[in-house]
Amino acid sequence: MGINLKPIINASPVRLSDLSDKILAIDAYNTIYQFLATIRGPTGESLSNNNGEITSHLSGLFYRNMNFLSENIKMVYIFDGIPHQLKSKEIERRKKLKQEATQKYEIAIAEGRLQDARKYSQGTVILTDKIIEQSKRLLEILGIPIIQAPSEGEATASLLTKNGIVFACGSQDYDSLLFGAKRLIRNLTISGRRKIPNKNKFVIVEPEIISQSLLLEVTKLSLEQLIDVGILIGTDFNPGGFEGIGPKTALKLIREYGKLENIDKIKDSLKNISYQEIREIFLYPIDIQVKNLEFNKPDYDRIINFLCDEMDFSKERVEISIEKLKQVQEKRSESLEKWFG
Amino acid sequence: MIFVKTATPEEWKAIASAISTIVDEATFEASVEGISFRGMDPSHVALIDIFWPNSAFQQYECDSLIKFGVRIDEFAKLIKRSEKKDSIEITINQDSMLSIKIENGYKKEYKMRLIESSSSSTPLPKLSFNSKIVLSYSTFDKILSDIQVLSDYITIDTKSDNVHFLGRGDSGDADIALDSKSEGLEELICKEDSLATYSIDYLLKITKAISTVGGSVIAEYSSKMPLRLEFTVAGVGRIHFYLAPRIQD
Repeated sequence: MGINLKPIINASPVRLSDLSDKILAIDAYNTIYQFLATIRGPTGESLSNNNGEITSHLSGLFYRNMNFLSENIKMVYIFDGIPHQLKSKEIERRKKLKQEATQKYEIAIAEGRLQDARKYSQGTVILTDKIIEQSKRLLEILGIPIIQAPSEGEATASLLTKNGIVFACGSQDYDSLLFGAKRLIRNLTISGRRKIPNKNKFVIVEPEIISQSLLLEVTKLSLEQLIDVGILIGTDFNPGGFEGIGPKTALKLIREYGKLENIDKIKDSLKNISYQEIREIFLYPIDIQVKNLEFNKPDYDRIINFLCDEMDFSKERVEISIEKLKQVQEKRSESLEKWFG
Repeated sequence: MIFVKTATPEEWKAIASAISTIVDEATFEASVEGISFRGMDPSHVALIDIFWPNSAFQQYECDSLIKFGVRIDEFAKLIKRSEKKDSIEITINQDSMLSIKIENGYKKEYKMRLIESSSSSTPLPKLSFNSKIVLSYSTFDKILSDIQVLSDYITIDTKSDNVHFLGRGDSGDADIALDSKSEGLEELICKEDSLATYSIDYLLKITKAISTVGGSVIAEYSSKMPLRLEFTVAGVGRIHFYLAPRIQD
Protein backbone atom coordinates (compact mmCIF):
# COMPACT_ATOMS: atom_id res chain seq x y z
CA MET A 1 0.00 0.00 0.00
CA GLY A 2 2.59 2.55 -0.98
CA ILE A 3 5.85 3.29 0.68
CA ASN A 4 6.04 4.39 4.29
CA LEU A 5 8.10 7.57 4.30
CA LYS A 6 6.09 9.19 7.06
CA PRO A 7 8.71 8.90 9.83
CA ILE A 8 11.30 10.82 7.82
CA ILE A 9 9.08 13.51 6.35
CA ASN A 10 8.14 16.94 7.54
CA ALA A 11 4.83 18.03 6.12
CA SER A 12 3.43 21.53 6.52
CA PRO A 13 -0.25 22.20 6.93
CA VAL A 14 -1.91 23.83 3.95
CA ARG A 15 -5.28 25.56 3.74
CA LEU A 16 -7.60 24.82 0.87
CA SER A 17 -7.81 28.57 0.24
CA ASP A 18 -4.06 28.58 -0.40
CA LEU A 19 -4.65 26.13 -3.24
CA SER A 20 -7.14 28.42 -4.94
CA ASP A 21 -6.59 28.66 -8.68
CA LYS A 22 -3.93 25.93 -8.58
CA ILE A 23 -4.11 22.68 -10.53
CA LEU A 24 -3.74 19.41 -8.61
CA ALA A 25 -3.17 15.98 -10.14
CA ILE A 26 -5.27 13.62 -8.06
CA ASP A 27 -4.40 9.95 -7.81
CA ALA A 28 -7.82 8.63 -8.86
CA TYR A 29 -7.52 5.01 -7.70
CA ASN A 30 -6.09 6.02 -4.37
CA THR A 31 -8.86 8.55 -3.82
CA ILE A 32 -11.73 6.33 -4.91
CA TYR A 33 -10.28 3.57 -2.76
CA GLN A 34 -10.27 5.90 0.26
CA PHE A 35 -13.91 6.79 -0.31
CA LEU A 36 -14.95 3.16 -0.64
CA ALA A 37 -13.05 2.24 2.51
CA THR A 38 -14.23 5.10 4.70
CA ILE A 39 -17.72 6.07 3.56
CA ARG A 40 -19.62 3.31 5.30
CA GLY A 41 -22.44 2.75 7.67
CA PRO A 42 -22.08 1.73 11.33
CA THR A 43 -21.57 -1.99 10.57
CA GLY A 44 -19.30 -1.40 7.64
CA GLU A 45 -21.89 -1.63 4.90
CA SER A 46 -21.22 0.52 1.83
CA LEU A 47 -23.70 3.17 0.80
CA SER A 48 -25.91 1.77 -1.92
CA ASN A 49 -28.88 2.69 -4.06
CA ASN A 50 -32.23 0.93 -4.18
CA ASN A 51 -30.81 -1.73 -6.51
CA GLY A 52 -28.01 -2.55 -4.09
CA GLU A 53 -25.32 -0.89 -6.21
CA ILE A 54 -22.46 0.63 -4.20
CA THR A 55 -22.49 4.43 -4.16
CA SER A 56 -19.83 5.30 -1.54
CA HIS A 57 -17.36 6.36 -4.22
CA LEU A 58 -19.90 8.63 -5.92
CA SER A 59 -20.85 10.26 -2.66
CA GLY A 60 -17.19 10.94 -1.82
CA LEU A 61 -16.32 12.18 -5.27
CA PHE A 62 -19.34 14.43 -5.49
CA TYR A 63 -19.24 16.16 -2.11
CA ARG A 64 -15.46 16.49 -1.94
CA ASN A 65 -15.12 17.84 -5.44
CA MET A 66 -17.95 20.30 -4.94
CA ASN A 67 -16.01 21.48 -1.92
CA PHE A 68 -12.79 21.87 -3.93
CA LEU A 69 -14.63 23.60 -6.76
CA SER A 70 -16.03 26.12 -4.33
CA GLU A 71 -12.46 26.83 -3.20
CA ASN A 72 -11.62 27.33 -6.87
CA ILE A 73 -9.15 24.44 -6.84
CA LYS A 74 -8.67 22.90 -10.26
CA MET A 75 -8.27 19.14 -10.35
CA VAL A 76 -7.30 16.59 -12.91
CA TYR A 77 -7.85 12.94 -11.97
CA ILE A 78 -5.16 10.50 -13.06
CA PHE A 79 -6.29 6.89 -13.57
CA ASP A 80 -3.84 3.99 -13.38
CA GLY A 81 -2.96 2.14 -16.57
CA ILE A 82 -1.28 -1.23 -16.89
CA PRO A 83 0.78 -2.04 -13.79
CA HIS A 84 4.47 -2.76 -14.18
CA GLN A 85 5.21 -6.49 -14.11
CA LEU A 86 7.34 -6.03 -10.99
CA LYS A 87 4.16 -5.01 -9.17
CA SER A 88 2.52 -8.40 -9.58
CA LYS A 89 3.78 -9.63 -6.20
CA GLU A 90 2.27 -6.61 -4.48
CA ILE A 91 -0.99 -7.06 -6.38
CA GLU A 92 -1.13 -10.72 -5.28
CA ARG A 93 -0.41 -9.69 -1.71
CA ARG A 94 -3.24 -7.18 -1.73
CA LYS A 95 -5.63 -9.70 -3.19
CA LYS A 96 -4.81 -12.11 -0.40
CA LEU A 97 -5.27 -9.43 2.25
CA LYS A 98 -8.66 -8.61 0.78
CA GLN A 99 -9.75 -12.24 0.85
CA GLU A 100 -8.70 -12.50 4.47
CA ALA A 101 -10.48 -9.29 5.38
CA THR A 102 -13.63 -10.44 3.60
CA GLN A 103 -13.63 -13.71 5.57
CA LYS A 104 -13.06 -11.90 8.87
CA TYR A 105 -15.79 -9.44 7.97
CA GLU A 106 -18.30 -12.18 7.26
CA ILE A 107 -17.47 -14.00 10.48
CA ALA A 108 -17.76 -10.79 12.49
CA ILE A 109 -21.16 -10.05 10.94
CA ALA A 110 -22.34 -13.61 11.61
CA GLU A 111 -21.22 -13.36 15.23
CA GLY A 112 -22.76 -9.94 15.65
CA ARG A 113 -19.45 -8.15 16.40
CA LEU A 114 -20.44 -4.98 14.59
CA GLN A 115 -17.47 -2.78 15.50
CA ASP A 116 -15.08 -5.43 14.25
CA ALA A 117 -17.18 -5.82 11.15
CA ARG A 118 -16.81 -2.14 10.37
CA LYS A 119 -13.05 -2.36 10.86
CA TYR A 120 -12.61 -5.39 8.59
CA SER A 121 -14.96 -4.01 5.98
CA GLN A 122 -12.42 -1.30 5.15
CA GLY A 123 -9.99 -3.95 3.94
CA THR A 124 -12.47 -5.57 1.58
CA VAL A 125 -12.63 -2.81 -0.99
CA ILE A 126 -12.39 -3.91 -4.60
CA LEU A 127 -12.28 -1.40 -7.41
CA THR A 128 -14.49 -2.94 -10.06
CA ASP A 129 -14.66 -1.74 -13.65
CA LYS A 130 -18.15 -0.50 -12.94
CA ILE A 131 -16.95 1.64 -10.04
CA ILE A 132 -14.22 3.13 -12.22
CA GLU A 133 -16.63 3.82 -15.08
CA GLN A 134 -19.15 5.47 -12.78
CA SER A 135 -16.42 7.58 -11.20
CA LYS A 136 -15.23 8.78 -14.60
CA ARG A 137 -18.76 9.58 -15.63
CA LEU A 138 -19.34 11.67 -12.50
CA LEU A 139 -16.05 13.53 -12.90
CA GLU A 140 -16.93 14.32 -16.49
CA ILE A 141 -20.28 15.88 -15.61
CA LEU A 142 -18.58 17.80 -12.82
CA GLY A 143 -16.40 19.33 -15.55
CA ILE A 144 -13.22 17.76 -14.11
CA PRO A 145 -10.67 16.49 -16.64
CA ILE A 146 -9.33 12.94 -16.55
CA ILE A 147 -5.99 11.56 -17.71
CA GLN A 148 -5.44 7.89 -18.40
CA ALA A 149 -1.91 7.06 -17.31
CA PRO A 150 0.09 4.56 -19.38
CA SER A 151 1.13 2.77 -16.17
CA GLU A 152 1.26 4.01 -12.57
CA GLY A 153 -1.04 7.01 -12.03
CA GLU A 154 1.38 8.49 -9.52
CA ALA A 155 4.18 8.38 -12.06
CA THR A 156 2.16 10.42 -14.52
CA ALA A 157 0.95 12.81 -11.81
CA SER A 158 4.55 13.39 -10.72
CA LEU A 159 5.61 14.04 -14.28
CA LEU A 160 2.96 16.74 -14.56
CA THR A 161 4.41 18.53 -11.52
CA LYS A 162 7.86 18.34 -13.11
CA ASN A 163 6.56 19.81 -16.37
CA GLY A 164 4.89 22.58 -14.43
CA ILE A 165 1.47 21.62 -15.81
CA VAL A 166 0.12 21.02 -12.32
CA PHE A 167 1.11 22.46 -8.95
CA ALA A 168 1.08 19.28 -6.88
CA CYS A 169 0.08 15.63 -6.69
CA GLY A 170 -2.81 14.70 -4.44
CA SER A 171 -2.61 11.26 -2.84
CA GLN A 172 -2.42 9.55 0.54
CA ASP A 173 0.60 7.53 -0.60
CA TYR A 174 4.12 8.89 -0.62
CA ASP A 175 5.17 7.06 -3.79
CA SER A 176 4.90 10.16 -5.97
CA LEU A 177 7.87 11.62 -4.09
CA LEU A 178 9.99 8.75 -5.40
CA PHE A 179 8.62 9.45 -8.85
CA GLY A 180 10.09 12.93 -8.49
CA ALA A 181 6.95 14.93 -7.72
CA LYS A 182 7.76 18.55 -6.88
CA ARG A 183 4.96 18.69 -4.32
CA LEU A 184 2.64 16.19 -2.70
CA ILE A 185 -0.55 17.09 -0.87
CA ARG A 186 -2.00 14.55 1.54
CA ASN A 187 -5.31 14.39 3.41
CA LEU A 188 -7.13 16.30 0.68
CA THR A 189 -9.94 13.81 0.53
CA ILE A 190 -10.05 12.68 4.12
CA SER A 191 -9.71 15.97 5.97
CA GLY A 192 -12.11 16.68 8.75
CA ARG A 193 -12.84 14.88 11.97
CA ARG A 194 -11.63 11.27 11.81
CA LYS A 195 -11.96 8.43 14.24
CA ILE A 196 -8.73 6.75 15.30
CA PRO A 197 -9.07 3.03 14.48
CA ASN A 198 -9.85 0.84 17.48
CA LYS A 199 -10.10 3.80 19.81
CA ASN A 200 -12.95 5.96 20.80
CA LYS A 201 -10.98 9.07 19.97
CA PHE A 202 -11.14 11.58 17.19
CA VAL A 203 -8.49 13.67 15.51
CA ILE A 204 -8.78 16.58 13.14
CA VAL A 205 -7.06 15.69 9.90
CA GLU A 206 -5.95 18.63 7.81
CA PRO A 207 -4.43 18.81 4.36
CA GLU A 208 -0.63 18.89 4.40
CA ILE A 209 1.95 19.66 1.76
CA ILE A 210 5.37 18.08 1.26
CA SER A 211 7.77 19.86 -1.01
CA GLN A 212 10.44 17.85 -2.76
CA SER A 213 13.11 20.52 -2.49
CA LEU A 214 12.57 20.89 1.25
CA LEU A 215 12.46 17.12 1.76
CA LEU A 216 15.74 16.60 -0.06
CA GLU A 217 17.32 19.53 1.74
CA VAL A 218 16.30 18.35 5.19
CA THR A 219 17.22 14.70 4.62
CA LYS A 220 20.37 15.73 2.72
CA LEU A 221 19.55 13.21 0.00
CA SER A 222 19.49 13.33 -3.78
CA LEU A 223 16.39 12.00 -5.54
CA GLU A 224 18.37 8.88 -6.50
CA GLN A 225 19.22 8.36 -2.84
CA LEU A 226 15.63 8.92 -1.75
CA ILE A 227 14.63 6.16 -4.16
CA ASP A 228 17.27 3.89 -2.60
CA VAL A 229 15.84 4.68 0.83
CA GLY A 230 12.45 3.70 -0.59
CA ILE A 231 13.75 0.41 -1.93
CA LEU A 232 15.20 -0.40 1.50
CA ILE A 233 11.88 0.29 3.21
CA GLY A 234 9.92 -1.48 0.51
CA THR A 235 8.04 -0.15 -2.52
CA ASP A 236 5.16 -1.61 -4.53
CA PHE A 237 7.85 -3.23 -6.67
CA ASN A 238 9.64 -4.94 -3.76
CA PRO A 239 6.98 -5.17 -1.05
CA GLY A 240 8.32 -5.52 2.47
CA GLY A 241 11.72 -4.16 1.55
CA PHE A 242 14.61 -5.52 3.57
CA GLU A 243 14.15 -7.36 6.78
CA GLY A 244 14.74 -5.32 9.87
CA ILE A 245 15.11 -2.04 7.99
CA GLY A 246 12.50 0.62 8.71
CA PRO A 247 12.33 4.18 7.45
CA LYS A 248 14.79 5.63 9.97
CA THR A 249 17.41 2.92 9.53
CA ALA A 250 17.04 3.14 5.77
CA LEU A 251 17.68 6.87 5.86
CA LYS A 252 20.70 6.38 8.10
CA LEU A 253 22.17 3.67 5.88
CA ILE A 254 21.86 5.67 2.67
CA ARG A 255 23.25 8.78 4.31
CA GLU A 256 26.20 6.77 5.53
CA TYR A 257 26.88 4.62 2.48
CA GLY A 258 25.50 6.73 -0.36
CA LYS A 259 23.73 3.93 -2.23
CA LEU A 260 22.38 0.40 -1.98
CA GLU A 261 25.43 -1.26 -3.53
CA ASN A 262 27.72 0.09 -0.80
CA ILE A 263 25.78 -1.35 2.13
CA ASP A 264 27.63 -4.47 3.21
CA LYS A 265 24.97 -6.06 5.37
CA ILE A 266 22.38 -6.25 2.58
CA LYS A 267 24.79 -7.50 -0.08
CA ASP A 268 23.24 -10.96 -0.29
CA SER A 269 19.59 -9.99 -0.19
CA LEU A 270 20.19 -7.21 -2.72
CA LYS A 271 21.04 -9.83 -5.33
CA ASN A 272 17.46 -11.11 -5.22
CA ILE A 273 15.93 -7.75 -6.01
CA SER A 274 15.76 -6.05 -9.40
CA TYR A 275 16.81 -2.82 -7.78
CA GLN A 276 18.25 -1.33 -10.95
CA GLU A 277 14.96 -1.82 -12.70
CA ILE A 278 13.04 -0.36 -9.74
CA ARG A 279 15.26 2.71 -9.78
CA GLU A 280 14.49 3.17 -13.44
CA ILE A 281 10.73 2.87 -12.89
CA PHE A 282 10.95 5.79 -10.48
CA LEU A 283 13.51 7.87 -12.32
CA TYR A 284 12.16 7.52 -15.85
CA PRO A 285 8.35 7.34 -15.80
CA ILE A 286 6.72 6.81 -19.20
CA ASP A 287 6.22 10.24 -20.73
CA ILE A 288 2.85 11.23 -22.08
CA GLN A 289 1.69 14.22 -24.06
CA VAL A 290 -0.87 16.21 -22.15
CA LYS A 291 -2.87 18.53 -24.29
CA ASN A 292 -4.48 21.56 -22.73
CA LEU A 293 -6.47 20.56 -19.68
CA GLU A 294 -10.09 21.56 -20.05
CA PHE A 295 -11.86 22.63 -16.91
CA ASN A 296 -15.57 22.88 -17.61
CA LYS A 297 -18.54 24.09 -15.65
CA PRO A 298 -20.43 21.34 -13.84
CA ASP A 299 -23.47 20.13 -15.75
CA TYR A 300 -26.03 20.46 -12.97
CA ASP A 301 -28.90 18.75 -14.82
CA ARG A 302 -26.83 15.69 -15.56
CA ILE A 303 -25.59 15.60 -11.96
CA ILE A 304 -29.20 15.44 -10.74
CA ASN A 305 -30.06 12.80 -13.36
CA PHE A 306 -27.15 10.59 -12.49
CA LEU A 307 -26.96 10.94 -8.72
CA CYS A 308 -30.60 11.42 -7.79
CA ASP A 309 -32.55 9.58 -10.52
CA GLU A 310 -30.14 6.70 -11.15
CA MET A 311 -28.27 6.36 -7.88
CA ASP A 312 -31.03 7.42 -5.46
CA PHE A 313 -29.11 10.24 -3.75
CA SER A 314 -31.23 12.63 -1.73
CA LYS A 315 -32.28 15.28 -4.19
CA GLU A 316 -32.52 17.86 -1.46
CA ARG A 317 -28.91 17.39 -0.31
CA VAL A 318 -27.53 17.38 -3.83
CA GLU A 319 -29.43 20.54 -4.69
CA ILE A 320 -28.23 22.32 -1.56
CA SER A 321 -24.67 21.46 -2.50
CA ILE A 322 -25.16 22.72 -6.06
CA GLU A 323 -26.80 25.91 -4.83
CA LYS A 324 -23.86 26.57 -2.48
CA LEU A 325 -21.35 26.19 -5.28
CA LYS A 326 -23.36 28.46 -7.57
CA GLN A 327 -23.44 31.14 -4.91
CA VAL A 328 -19.72 30.99 -4.26
CA GLN A 329 -18.93 31.05 -7.96
CA GLU A 330 -21.15 34.04 -8.49
CA LYS A 331 -19.18 35.97 -5.89
CA ARG A 332 -15.79 34.90 -7.09
CA SER A 333 -13.27 37.35 -8.41
CA GLU A 334 -10.75 36.70 -11.12
CA SER A 335 -7.09 36.17 -10.27
CA LEU A 336 -4.72 39.11 -10.72
CA GLU A 337 -2.27 36.67 -12.29
CA LYS A 338 -4.22 37.05 -15.51
CA TRP A 339 -2.72 40.55 -15.82
CA PHE A 340 0.86 39.78 -14.87
CA GLY A 341 1.64 39.17 -18.55
CA MET B 1 21.36 46.88 9.91
CA ILE B 2 18.36 49.20 9.69
CA PHE B 3 17.42 52.11 11.90
CA VAL B 4 14.32 54.16 11.08
CA LYS B 5 12.46 56.76 13.09
CA THR B 6 9.04 58.34 12.60
CA ALA B 7 7.59 61.16 14.64
CA THR B 8 4.25 59.38 15.10
CA PRO B 9 3.06 55.76 14.99
CA GLU B 10 0.23 56.51 12.54
CA GLU B 11 2.09 55.56 9.37
CA TRP B 12 3.16 52.17 10.74
CA LYS B 13 -0.33 51.56 12.07
CA ALA B 14 -1.90 52.26 8.69
CA ILE B 15 0.62 50.11 6.85
CA ALA B 16 0.38 47.20 9.27
CA SER B 17 -3.40 47.12 9.29
CA ALA B 18 -3.56 47.49 5.50
CA ILE B 19 -1.21 44.55 5.02
CA SER B 20 -3.03 42.45 7.59
CA THR B 21 -6.17 42.56 5.43
CA ILE B 22 -4.48 40.33 2.85
CA VAL B 23 -1.71 38.26 4.49
CA ASP B 24 -0.64 36.84 7.86
CA GLU B 25 3.06 37.08 7.18
CA ALA B 26 4.67 40.06 5.49
CA THR B 27 8.09 40.47 3.96
CA PHE B 28 9.37 44.05 3.84
CA GLU B 29 12.32 45.19 1.85
CA ALA B 30 14.52 47.99 3.12
CA SER B 31 17.03 49.67 0.83
CA VAL B 32 18.99 52.90 0.70
CA GLU B 33 15.93 54.56 -0.91
CA GLY B 34 13.27 53.45 1.55
CA ILE B 35 11.03 50.63 2.75
CA SER B 36 8.76 48.72 0.42
CA PHE B 37 6.22 45.95 0.64
CA ARG B 38 4.44 44.01 -2.05
CA GLY B 39 2.17 41.04 -1.47
CA MET B 40 -0.99 39.29 -2.56
CA ASP B 41 -3.75 37.55 -0.66
CA PRO B 42 -3.73 33.73 -0.95
CA SER B 43 -6.42 33.67 -3.62
CA HIS B 44 -4.55 36.28 -5.68
CA VAL B 45 -7.50 38.63 -5.88
CA ALA B 46 -5.91 41.56 -4.07
CA LEU B 47 -2.42 43.01 -4.11
CA ILE B 48 -0.85 45.71 -1.98
CA ASP B 49 2.15 47.68 -3.18
CA ILE B 50 3.75 50.12 -0.76
CA PHE B 51 6.75 52.36 -1.16
CA TRP B 52 7.79 54.50 1.76
CA PRO B 53 10.71 56.78 0.79
CA ASN B 54 13.58 57.55 3.17
CA SER B 55 12.72 61.26 2.98
CA ALA B 56 9.44 60.58 4.79
CA PHE B 57 11.24 59.41 7.92
CA GLN B 58 12.63 61.60 10.65
CA GLN B 59 15.75 59.47 10.56
CA TYR B 60 16.57 56.72 8.09
CA GLU B 61 19.64 54.54 8.09
CA CYS B 62 19.99 51.50 5.87
CA ASP B 63 23.14 50.84 3.91
CA SER B 64 22.21 47.72 1.96
CA LEU B 65 19.22 45.77 0.71
CA ILE B 66 17.62 43.90 3.61
CA LYS B 67 14.51 41.72 3.57
CA PHE B 68 12.71 41.10 6.81
CA GLY B 69 9.62 39.05 7.57
CA VAL B 70 7.14 39.64 10.37
CA ARG B 71 3.90 38.13 11.52
CA ILE B 72 1.86 41.17 10.71
CA ASP B 73 -0.74 40.80 13.48
CA GLU B 74 1.95 40.59 16.14
CA PHE B 75 3.74 43.58 14.68
CA ALA B 76 0.49 45.57 14.55
CA LYS B 77 -0.31 44.64 18.14
CA LEU B 78 2.99 46.07 19.36
CA ILE B 79 2.77 49.23 17.25
CA LYS B 80 -0.73 49.83 18.60
CA ARG B 81 0.70 50.04 22.14
CA SER B 82 1.69 53.59 21.23
CA GLU B 83 -0.21 56.84 21.34
CA LYS B 84 -0.66 59.47 18.68
CA LYS B 85 2.28 61.63 19.73
CA ASP B 86 4.77 58.86 20.45
CA SER B 87 7.82 58.62 18.26
CA ILE B 88 8.67 55.17 16.89
CA GLU B 89 12.14 53.77 16.29
CA ILE B 90 12.58 50.48 14.52
CA THR B 91 15.92 48.71 14.50
CA ILE B 92 17.03 45.41 13.03
CA ASN B 93 20.49 44.09 13.80
CA GLN B 94 22.06 40.81 12.79
CA ASP B 95 20.28 38.85 15.54
CA SER B 96 17.03 38.28 13.57
CA MET B 97 15.12 40.36 16.09
CA LEU B 98 13.20 43.52 15.35
CA SER B 99 13.22 46.18 18.02
CA ILE B 100 10.44 48.73 18.40
CA LYS B 101 11.17 51.70 20.65
CA ILE B 102 8.20 53.82 21.57
CA GLU B 103 9.03 57.11 23.24
CA ASN B 104 6.93 59.80 24.79
CA GLY B 105 7.95 60.84 28.27
CA TYR B 106 9.56 57.49 28.97
CA LYS B 107 11.04 54.70 26.85
CA LYS B 108 9.34 51.45 25.98
CA GLU B 109 11.10 48.79 23.96
CA TYR B 110 9.68 45.67 22.36
CA LYS B 111 11.69 43.01 20.65
CA MET B 112 9.97 40.62 18.31
CA ARG B 113 11.31 37.64 16.44
CA LEU B 114 11.56 37.97 12.69
CA ILE B 115 10.28 35.14 10.54
CA GLU B 116 11.76 33.71 7.38
CA SER B 117 11.21 36.20 4.61
CA SER B 118 9.60 34.98 1.42
CA SER B 119 12.01 34.66 -1.46
CA SER B 120 9.47 35.01 -4.24
CA SER B 121 8.75 38.48 -5.51
CA THR B 122 5.30 39.55 -6.57
CA PRO B 123 5.00 41.21 -9.98
CA LEU B 124 2.65 44.11 -10.64
CA PRO B 125 -0.28 43.67 -13.02
CA LYS B 126 0.20 45.46 -16.33
CA LEU B 127 -2.75 47.78 -16.68
CA SER B 128 -3.89 50.84 -18.50
CA PHE B 129 -6.78 52.80 -17.02
CA ASN B 130 -9.63 54.39 -18.93
CA SER B 131 -11.31 55.94 -15.90
CA LYS B 132 -10.03 57.84 -12.92
CA ILE B 133 -12.17 58.91 -9.99
CA VAL B 134 -10.83 60.93 -7.09
CA LEU B 135 -13.00 60.90 -3.99
CA SER B 136 -12.56 62.24 -0.52
CA TYR B 137 -11.79 59.41 1.85
CA SER B 138 -15.01 59.84 3.81
CA THR B 139 -17.16 59.86 0.65
CA PHE B 140 -15.53 56.66 -0.60
CA ASP B 141 -15.98 54.99 2.77
CA LYS B 142 -19.64 56.04 2.90
CA ILE B 143 -20.38 54.79 -0.62
CA LEU B 144 -18.94 51.36 0.22
CA SER B 145 -20.96 51.10 3.41
CA ASP B 146 -24.11 52.31 1.64
CA ILE B 147 -23.79 49.59 -0.99
CA GLN B 148 -22.71 46.90 1.44
CA VAL B 149 -25.99 46.92 3.37
CA LEU B 150 -27.57 44.96 0.54
CA SER B 151 -24.84 43.77 -1.80
CA ASP B 152 -21.64 41.69 -1.66
CA TYR B 153 -20.17 43.47 -4.63
CA ILE B 154 -20.01 46.91 -6.14
CA THR B 155 -20.31 47.84 -9.79
CA ILE B 156 -18.61 51.04 -10.89
CA ASP B 157 -20.09 52.60 -14.02
CA THR B 158 -18.16 55.63 -15.23
CA LYS B 159 -19.18 57.93 -18.09
CA SER B 160 -17.62 61.22 -19.13
CA ASP B 161 -19.77 63.35 -16.81
CA ASN B 162 -20.93 61.05 -14.04
CA VAL B 163 -20.19 57.91 -12.10
CA HIS B 164 -22.64 55.40 -10.64
CA PHE B 165 -21.85 52.98 -7.84
CA LEU B 166 -24.27 50.07 -8.00
CA GLY B 167 -25.08 47.11 -5.83
CA ARG B 168 -27.51 44.24 -6.04
CA GLY B 169 -28.58 41.74 -3.44
CA ASP B 170 -31.43 39.39 -2.58
CA SER B 171 -33.40 42.22 -1.04
CA GLY B 172 -32.96 44.80 -3.77
CA ASP B 173 -30.72 47.25 -5.64
CA ALA B 174 -28.62 50.28 -4.72
CA ASP B 175 -27.59 53.14 -6.99
CA ILE B 176 -25.36 56.00 -5.87
CA ALA B 177 -24.77 58.70 -8.47
CA LEU B 178 -22.12 61.43 -8.43
CA ASP B 179 -21.27 64.10 -10.97
CA SER B 180 -18.87 67.02 -11.09
CA LYS B 181 -21.16 69.08 -8.85
CA SER B 182 -21.42 66.38 -6.17
CA GLU B 183 -19.75 66.86 -2.87
CA GLY B 184 -16.85 64.51 -2.31
CA LEU B 185 -16.06 63.88 -5.98
CA GLU B 186 -12.79 65.74 -6.46
CA GLU B 187 -11.96 64.64 -9.98
CA LEU B 188 -13.44 62.54 -12.77
CA ILE B 189 -11.57 61.60 -15.92
CA CYS B 190 -13.16 59.17 -18.36
CA LYS B 191 -11.34 58.36 -21.58
CA GLU B 192 -13.79 55.58 -22.36
CA ASP B 193 -16.99 54.44 -20.62
CA SER B 194 -15.97 51.88 -18.01
CA LEU B 195 -17.98 49.24 -16.22
CA ALA B 196 -16.64 46.64 -13.80
CA THR B 197 -17.65 44.83 -10.63
CA TYR B 198 -15.56 44.14 -7.53
CA SER B 199 -15.91 42.38 -4.19
CA ILE B 200 -17.01 44.92 -1.62
CA ASP B 201 -15.51 42.96 1.24
CA TYR B 202 -11.92 43.57 0.11
CA LEU B 203 -12.60 47.26 -0.51
CA LEU B 204 -14.21 47.87 2.84
CA LYS B 205 -11.45 46.08 4.73
CA ILE B 206 -8.64 48.04 3.12
CA THR B 207 -10.51 51.33 3.41
CA LYS B 208 -11.22 50.80 7.11
CA ALA B 209 -7.60 49.77 7.67
CA ILE B 210 -6.25 53.04 6.34
CA SER B 211 -8.94 55.19 7.92
CA THR B 212 -6.77 56.91 10.51
CA VAL B 213 -4.70 58.78 7.99
CA GLY B 214 -7.02 58.97 5.00
CA GLY B 215 -6.91 62.01 2.75
CA SER B 216 -8.35 61.24 -0.64
CA VAL B 217 -8.67 58.02 -2.59
CA ILE B 218 -7.82 57.71 -6.26
CA ALA B 219 -9.65 54.87 -8.03
CA GLU B 220 -8.57 53.88 -11.52
CA TYR B 221 -9.89 51.08 -13.70
CA SER B 222 -11.18 49.99 -17.11
CA SER B 223 -14.09 47.76 -18.10
CA LYS B 224 -13.74 44.23 -16.70
CA MET B 225 -10.21 45.03 -15.55
CA PRO B 226 -8.62 45.24 -12.12
CA LEU B 227 -9.15 48.32 -9.99
CA ARG B 228 -6.26 50.27 -8.50
CA LEU B 229 -6.79 52.38 -5.43
CA GLU B 230 -4.23 54.87 -4.33
CA PHE B 231 -4.41 56.03 -0.76
CA THR B 232 -2.69 59.26 0.02
CA VAL B 233 -1.28 58.88 3.46
CA ALA B 234 0.63 61.78 4.94
CA GLY B 235 4.20 60.68 5.50
CA VAL B 236 4.01 57.57 3.32
CA GLY B 237 4.90 57.74 -0.33
CA ARG B 238 2.63 55.28 -2.02
CA ILE B 239 0.00 52.76 -1.02
CA HIS B 240 -1.52 51.03 -4.01
CA PHE B 241 -4.23 48.44 -3.66
CA TYR B 242 -5.07 46.30 -6.70
CA LEU B 243 -8.27 44.28 -6.87
CA ALA B 244 -9.26 41.79 -9.58
CA PRO B 245 -12.77 42.16 -10.99
CA ARG B 246 -15.53 39.75 -10.21
CA ILE B 247 -15.94 36.97 -12.77
CA GLN B 248 -18.59 37.95 -15.28
CA ASP B 249 -21.10 35.40 -16.50
